Amino acid sequence: MKAYLLPGIFLLPVLLFLQGCSTPTRPVQQPPVMEQGTVIPAKPGQSVIPGGIRPQARQPAAIASSPPVVALLGQAEDAANAGNLEAAAASLERAIRIEPRNPLLWYHLATVRLAQQEPLQAEQLAVKSNSLAAGNRIQQSRNWRLIASARQAQGDRRGARKAERRARELEQQP
Amino acid sequence: MSRKRKRGRRKSTRKAVKYRSMWLRLALLPVLLLAAYTVYLDVQVRRQFDGKRWSLPARVYARPLELYVGQELTAEQFQAELRALYYIPVKSATHPGRFSRNRNVFHVITRPFSFWDGLQASNNIRVSFSGNTVSTLTDAGSGRPASLARLDPVLVGSFYPAHNEDRVLLKLDDVPVNLTDALIAVEDRGFYSHHGVAPLAILRALWANVRARGVVQGGSTITQQLVKNFFLSSERSLVRKFNEAIMALLLEWHYKKDEILEAYINEVYLGQDGNRAVHGFGLASHFYFERPLAELTLEKYALLVGLVKGPSYYNPRRHPERALARRNLVLDVMAGQGLVDHDQAAAAKERPLGVSPQGRKAINTFPAFLDLVRRQLQRDYRDEDLTTEGLVIFTTLDPQLQWQLEKTLVAGLRTLEKSHGIEHDKLEGAVVITSVQGGEVLALAGGRNPKFAGFNRALDARRQVGSLLKPAVYLTALEQPERYTLATLLDDSPLTFTAHNGTVWKPGNYDRVSHGKVPLYQALTHSYNISTARLGLDLGIDTVVNTLQQLGVEQRLNPYPSLVLGAVEMSPLQVTRLYETFASGGFLTPLRAINAVLGSDKNPLQRYPLNVRAVVDPAAVYLVNTALRYVTREGTGRAIYQVLPQDQDVAGKTGTTDDLRDSWFAGFSGDRLGVVWVGRDDNASTGLSGSSGALHIWRNLFKYLGDPGVNRPVAEGIEYDWIDPASGLLADSGCEDAVQLPFITGSAPRQNAPCAKGGGTLPNPVDWFKELFQ
Repeated sequence: MKAYLLPGIFLLPVLLFLQGCSTPTRPVQQPPVMEQGTVIPAKPGQSVIPGGIRPQARQPAAIASSPPVVALLGQAEDAANAGNLEAAAASLERAIRIEPRNPLLWYHLATVRLAQQEPLQAEQLAVKSNSLAAGNRIQQSRNWRLIASARQAQGDRRGARKAERRARELEQQP
Repeated sequence: MSRKRKRGRRKSTRKAVKYRSMWLRLALLPVLLLAAYTVYLDVQVRRQFDGKRWSLPARVYARPLELYVGQELTAEQFQAELRALYYIPVKSATHPGRFSRNRNVFHVITRPFSFWDGLQASNNIRVSFSGNTVSTLTDAGSGRPASLARLDPVLVGSFYPAHNEDRVLLKLDDVPVNLTDALIAVEDRGFYSHHGVAPLAILRALWANVRARGVVQGGSTITQQLVKNFFLSSERSLVRKFNEAIMALLLEWHYKKDEILEAYINEVYLGQDGNRAVHGFGLASHFYFERPLAELTLEKYALLVGLVKGPSYYNPRRHPERALARRNLVLDVMAGQGLVDHDQAAAAKERPLGVSPQGRKAINTFPAFLDLVRRQLQRDYRDEDLTTEGLVIFTTLDPQLQWQLEKTLVAGLRTLEKSHGIEHDKLEGAVVITSVQGGEVLALAGGRNPKFAGFNRALDARRQVGSLLKPAVYLTALEQPERYTLATLLDDSPLTFTAHNGTVWKPGNYDRVSHGKVPLYQALTHSYNISTARLGLDLGIDTVVNTLQQLGVEQRLNPYPSLVLGAVEMSPLQVTRLYETFASGGFLTPLRAINAVLGSDKNPLQRYPLNVRAVVDPAAVYLVNTALRYVTREGTGRAIYQVLPQDQDVAGKTGTTDDLRDSWFAGFSGDRLGVVWVGRDDNASTGLSGSSGALHIWRNLFKYLGDPGVNRPVAEGIEYDWIDPASGLLADSGCEDAVQLPFITGSAPRQNAPCAKGGGTLPNPVDWFKELFQ
């Protein structure tokens, strides 16, 4: 794709800003519930864990990236700006190895794939980012915008419009 | 008469001319033949020298270690990585490939390395450890904190050509001057002035040999020696000597001195490592000193040059005295010719040989993993390319994890043999560990003996998978939220199924008890066979087969009812592919052992990028994964928490086959997926279930991993409700045993449970949980 698209795909300043807000990702300790695997429910239907397994809270809107990941995002940005998209992708994959569940990284990888004219893979990567960004509307709406462009590039205009609509809905939600 | 005579005379004259020209021709013939022969040799010389000179084996590297603050890594693990990289421990590190350690603080100068994304320059870093993590990382030069440092990767194997020649190719510019100086001084003093052969040198050698009545000196130039190694057999004959001389002249005619010297430095035979022939100074440096040539010191260059005369006679490991004498002779020659000063030479002579006890092992360190790499490469490269083109292959292997896996597997199998009275060494096992989101194969064991390059059970043992297949059945159900939820009551009462052809199928539970009505999530938690079989039949076996294929199962599946209880044979790797899709939240992520391939010129040839494909509804996968967490908390996998800490959330499933032939466990934490199989090669009963066998090895591995929990943010389109498990209906504060279960939005039951008598409502699970953070 066109080179002028590339500088816009990395929002490093936003990233650095977001770094300040940290995510409580650590699961709360489960109550000690059983002795050495010998416990069998006393009666059918009774759970050993009082109340059952607890859900984890949804992610807050901001995503924190650790310093090595921020450094790799910077490298990816430089590579993309220099037109070396494959090196940008390689840096993003390194970052994903360090933070595999950071939706921002999958989103950036999707933008690189789109710039490499691989809309199919770009869309899938954006969907993956969405699946990791539950509760993070800002990231989700960016993903949907990217999905819209990817569908447009595949000639799927209706799908693109649908994705655009989804992105707008997410932006308008309080 | 006279006429006759005349004619006769004329005839004889003609005859004489004819004879004379014949003699001339005869005399010319050898010259012509020689010329033709020279042309023939010339073609040979040029073809070989211009074309590909050497078969270069492909080199296979592990993932590079990335250092950053907060990374889970102990000082001991870091030191093990440096050892595998042949970094030298020193008091104070000054050159690449060296490090110093002071308790938990390391000062390391990394080696530069060409990666897929370009050259990684040498880093001068200080790294400190605290407990299990990297606590600081600084640039040792500036003293400023560094965010990331990448080491060079550990070499884990090579693909050798049939003749087992191996070398590390060098460019003349990269060869230390000390070495070339010593080489020319000792082997061919006139190298830069002769034309390929040195008659004076030959005469001198001849004279020396006559005086000694035997061969004590060779008069061969470096060019002749190269020709001998390169083109000719090792027989000793005049003809060969003649060919050698001609070819040496031709070589000099066509090529520059430096080209010839570079070829010689890479070609010369310098030792034998089992059946691998060590060629060239590049590999010899690794073979004798375990580090690159550029990192050696004077006396070591002298030793290598001394070896040229007879690598086996002067073998420094077998004949250290001979090698030492030879080395010191080389140093004397160097000093005599003014290449080094006498003090330097004297100091070098004082030093020990410094040869490592064993050569760098040519055998592949991780044969089972290498086997997977080779198979993945065979899709894109011919066998010949792998053994001759000098490819550089970057794999996903994590050596730290691989070492741990090898230890854990063999120890685990021994413990199981002891505790279950199984004959010693009869149990076999196979393990695959991958990264959950990236699908990278991080470690792999093909059997209990990790050095054995034979039958690779992780890839080739096809065994019945038993209950490992059940999650696919439950996923098929939960993808229809209008029919099934985690709270739906399933019928676990005895079942007799008669197929169209009259065969009767009567599945039974492992505990030989039927459990009446059970909520769906508990049927999976406790791996009940009867309710699962009934569920599979209700869904339709074809539908289940369809789900399995969507999840990434590539093999042909026969839609028999027994399929839903795992009457299908799969390899541990195939099972890993299936569970990868669950672990990654419904994304098919091709398993990769290779990240990239570079050519011998370090140019990128091919990359194996991270690709994903959403194949099943993430919300439905979230429900299955919740049930798989119940498996490890209170179901067939609960023995995991005898070893794992309570706060390490994991999800998984046991698998056991008829007569306890196969014991499986497949499970994942936040970022790692592991599949373990335990069984016997003769397919006899092991006496082990999934819980009592494979699970034991899995839990020890995951205890070591200390991976973050599997507890994921609640997926989009999921809501939680309090449920009374006995009825599968909505609970309120009147229900003692109420549990909170996830539902695809709108699919939760609307009816109240009998225990819900209009008492207070229970807190909204998600909000209530959120409050814990605030």
